[in-house]
Amino acid sequence: MADRRTRGMTGSGQNRTTAARAAAIAEQLHYECTILLELFRKRESLFSDFAVGDGRLVSVPSPSSQLDTKDKLWCLHSALLQCRGLLERAMSREEEELGGGEKGEYESQGKLVRERLSLLLGCTGELLKAADGSVVLTPNLDSLEIDRSTSLFELKLWIYRVFKEVDYWSQTAITMLQALPAVTAKEVGRTAAGSRRRRSLRR
Amino acid sequence: MPCQSFTSCPSLNARPLRFLFVLLALSVIHTHGKDAPVVPQQVNLSPNMKTQQLSISWLSGAATTFDLWIQRTELSETIFDDTVTADQVNGRYQWNWTSAEPLECTSLSVQLRSRDGQTTSEWSETQILQGMDFPSNKGSYMYPVDSVVNVGTNTTFCCIVGERRLFGSIYYKVVLMNATRLSRRSYAITRVNQEPSGMTGTNVFCNDYQNTILTGVVVFVGYPPLPSNLVCETHDLKSAVCRWNAGRDTHLNGNQRRTNYTLNGRKCEVASQSLNWTVCSLDQWDGNWTLVAKNPLGTYSLTDSAELRHRVRPVAPISLVSISHAWNATVLWQWMYKSYDSLALICQVELTAYGQTTNRTFLGVGLHSAVLLGLHPDEVYSVRVCCGAQQNFGKWGNWSEAHTFRTRMDIPETLDMWVWMDGEDTGRVMWKPLTRKQSHGLITGYEVTLWSPEKNIQHNKILPPSNFTLPFNFSQDDYTSGVKIIASITARNGAGVSLPASVVIPLHMANIEPPFVSRAVFLDGGFPLSWQSNTNASCGYVVEWRDASCLQDCSVDWTKVPAENTTISLRSGNFEQGVRYTFTLYSCSSKAPELMHHWQGYMQEMVPSRSVPHLSTNQQDSDIQLSWDEIPLVNRRGFLLGYNIYRNNGSQLTLLANVSDPGSRSYTVRGLPLDSYKFTVKAYNSAGEDTGTTASITLKSVTDWLILEILASLGTMTCFLVFVTFICYKKRNWVKKAFYPDIPEPKLAGDWSRPQGTMDVKPSPHSMVRIVEEPEWDSSKEALVAIPEEEEDEEGQGIGDGPVDADEPMSLRYYNQVIDDRPIRPRFPDSSASSASSLDSARTDVTYTGIQTSGSSLTFQLQTQGSSGGQQPQTEPPVSFAGGEGSYRPQMQHGNVGHSPGPAQPQCFQEPQSTTGGSFSCYQPQCSWNLDSPVEAGGSGGRALSLGSPTSIASTQFLLPEGGTEDSGDGKGHGSSSATSWFHNLLTSTKP
Repeated sequence: MADRRTRGMTGSGQNRTTAARAAAIAEQLHYECTILLELFRKRESLFSDFAVGDGRLVSVPSPSSQLDTKDKLWCLHSALLQCRGLLERAMSREEEELGGGEKGEYESQGKLVRERLSLLLGCTGELLKAADGSVVLTPNLDSLEIDRSTSLFELKLWIYRVFKEVDYWSQTAITMLQALPAVTAKEVGRTAAGSRRRRSLRR
Repeated sequence: MPCQSFTSCPSLNARPLRFLFVLLALSVIHTHGKDAPVVPQQVNLSPNMKTQQLSISWLSGAATTFDLWIQRTELSETIFDDTVTADQVNGRYQWNWTSAEPLECTSLSVQLRSRDGQTTSEWSETQILQGMDFPSNKGSYMYPVDSVVNVGTNTTFCCIVGERRLFGSIYYKVVLMNATRLSRRSYAITRVNQEPSGMTGTNVFCNDYQNTILTGVVVFVGYPPLPSNLVCETHDLKSAVCRWNAGRDTHLNGNQRRTNYTLNGRKCEVASQSLNWTVCSLDQWDGNWTLVAKNPLGTYSLTDSAELRHRVRPVAPISLVSISHAWNATVLWQWMYKSYDSLALICQVELTAYGQTTNRTFLGVGLHSAVLLGLHPDEVYSVRVCCGAQQNFGKWGNWSEAHTFRTRMDIPETLDMWVWMDGEDTGRVMWKPLTRKQSHGLITGYEVTLWSPEKNIQHNKILPPSNFTLPFNFSQDDYTSGVKIIASITARNGAGVSLPASVVIPLHMANIEPPFVSRAVFLDGGFPLSWQSNTNASCGYVVEWRDASCLQDCSVDWTKVPAENTTISLRSGNFEQGVRYTFTLYSCSSKAPELMHHWQGYMQEMVPSRSVPHLSTNQQDSDIQLSWDEIPLVNRRGFLLGYNIYRNNGSQLTLLANVSDPGSRSYTVRGLPLDSYKFTVKAYNSAGEDTGTTASITLKSVTDWLILEILASLGTMTCFLVFVTFICYKKRNWVKKAFYPDIPEPKLAGDWSRPQGTMDVKPSPHSMVRIVEEPEWDSSKEALVAIPEEEEDEEGQGIGDGPVDADEPMSLRYYNQVIDDRPIRPRFPDSSASSASSLDSARTDVTYTGIQTSGSSLTFQLQTQGSSGGQQPQTEPPVSFAGGEGSYRPQMQHGNVGHSPGPAQPQCFQEPQSTTGGSFSCYQPQCSWNLDSPVEAGGSGGRALSLGSPTSIASTQFLLPEGGTEDSGDGKGHGSSSATSWFHNLLTSTKP
């Protein structure tokens, strides 16, 4: 009895710990992404309030309150996966089209954001596995790829939008992951109550 | 239809007409061909968007000049209207026009006409070059796209606003530009004299009125490539490695804009690029190389050529190892290429230790090792190697990786030791710590040995490495004075023990008179000292110095000077300002160090740190004497030059005097009126004065001082008298015994009761008195000389058996004391014979005790003198007596001394009166007083009767009344009266 309670609490505790850790990483990612955006604007001599148009690059709906935790996690994880793919392609294209000069703070910050995003993906993947064990397939980002014939300015705007996308989803991850422990506890409670009801019906 | 008419109406009659018509037409055409140029036909526009060049070609007649008219189609703005000369190519005329703005910005309309002088043809049909702002193209665009231009050029950018968007602004980087409208949707700006762009180009973008970016372009403003210094060399004696300097930054980044290099036509993959140097490798040594650098803005070529042996640059040695010893090491390395075995190499070895780097050069064929000499034991060295070709040396190869090794330890160097004596038999053995270079390894300890070769006594002491001094004291040791004692010391490390350093301990140095102390002046960062050479200084000299004001546990430093030197500039980082240092020179020999000279000096003098202590003022009449104590040495901080005496006038100081003698301790300010004064004394040295000590005084009148002195003297005397009185009162018993002892009763040997005849008295010719002294009197009465009775008897002059105080200058008073207990009856010596008999008997039976007082001494002497004239036995019965003079006559006295100038003779032996008057204070010898006449004597009452007559031999009372003394008319007797009476009373009152 005690063992079961301990195991149960341990699993829930681990989830809570992982969620908290993921939320902390998301916060750090958000902070670092903010810096990256600032460095980008500074390098490109762009105003901080300039707009690049509407529309999201990541083709995953924002996790709404209608979805349960598992679906929310799936959406978040999928979106972060697309963000990572976009980010890697953006940085690759940037190096290809605009690179060759001395590396500076901007390049280091971009690398940091990419690594932090991978770390966050690891955490959300663990949470998703803990939820139902399903695995999110790596999305095909070809449709998200910018046309190679586009101008450099459009490439820059696209890179900026990718960074903004990472920033957006990191913010979304913070909100969602911070609310995740309470939701998990409620669901665990509901699950336990349902089991008790089922057992009583059998009797 | 005409053809149809032509073909449908054939007629023979019409043929001649038709022919004429054709001829007419041809002639008209021919006529017009000479008069009006042909209108250009088949005008064709061929744009080059990248170069913004429009190639216009057309067909025309023989005309070679044409009028060209280009205008923006929408707004019909003419942008070109000029006459051009076109060349004919392949039967078509062609002319290129370069637009200032991108050709995509808006549609252009082009028309031509032929010109022949002033004659022109009609305008050709309008040809329109379609811009990107045509209505069906509804998006937003900006041109030129991703252009690359040279620094300093002018570029026009245009923005085509999308349909239903309102133009806002165009920014070049962050600069808002003035836009020109080209068409309904197209706006243009021109940036002149552009600066180099950043790493990712310069952004030019177009916003709508809501400041939302509509579109934009990136322009790269940079330079064409300009490489330099192409050098090709070989490392492996086979391949070529070419290096060149990339030159200035082209500001063109990205794969499509960066500079591409080809070397001898082969694309050069840049192996590395550091510090703007680019390296490219070729597998074979071509001997001639051509480098072509190309970017969108231009191309540049470089060439180089050389023989292989002239361009050998060895690679860096690898796998460095070392074989180290204490004082040298061998460094070995390997080469990457076997071909180096036959290559004559020159290598330099960079050795780094103690933070210092030295280079050593070695030569050899296929060199792969080097022996490094002159190293230090137990030291860490870092070494790296690079080499070059000896022949046709061009450049050093790369440095190898650094290799670090530590040399082995060796025994330490001999210590620098010294002995400092702080007493005759005490002192310290001191030694300086060894530096890293001297210790040759970690010092584990020191061993100090004190030994006497003469006594063959040896004491050893092991000390830890943190100790650098060892005190000794030979005063309680086995060493005896005069023995030569040698102190020696060795240092120990992991490699062994150092050679010993020895010094003969200079015992009893304190007994040596210190030589003259000279002054040492600090010059040029040191104390220059010089001395006369000493032939005994076989091993040089030692200069020792310390803080002169230090008294205990002083820090002593020293330096050793070779024997051939007699000067030194003593430098030390420990010298401090304001500290007096004592420098002592010793000569070094096989014996104990010999003290040669003393110096004292300051590194820099400072003003004294404290003022003169204990400044006091003293009035001397109208003068004031200022006196002070010496400033302690530690506070002088310089050689004192004297003192300045100031008088304080309010807050100002007035210099009164300058005492230039630093040893002076007082100064007198003379002739001051009565007033209050304040004085300040300041000691000074070469650095200045101290803060000064102030003392004040108020001058008082001299009369007041005199009165005070008199009162003080009187008071002192009074106190003294009171004290003496008190002491005498307290010690009255002692005083009485000392000065007024009890008169002993006469000792009567025979039976005085039986009738006797006339007592024969044999007066002593010297009137000597036999005295019986009490035992306690013996020691205190030093001046009285006891005359043995036997001697007196032999001489026939002795009159008693007691000692006689012969030379006592004080007066003597004698008291009879009867030893016999029997009642004493009065004796009546009625004749001289009886008197003589009495005297004779008294010689054995009666004793007298003398008491001296200062006042009666003279009297005794006079009496003695009188008796010295010879006393004759008295033959007359002493019925009465008169003060006989000149002799002691207890029984009789002459009445008047003046009347008997001859030798005094006893006149009588007076009948003892029973305490006549009862006031005798003492027994007065016969000559103690003088009576001028019997009347006078009788007038004296009882006193006259009592004179010279002992009343009772059993009485302890003085036989003579006190009043007799007082009434004595002779001044000699009166001189002692007051004191003696006072003492008498005092003593009497204490007698039980």
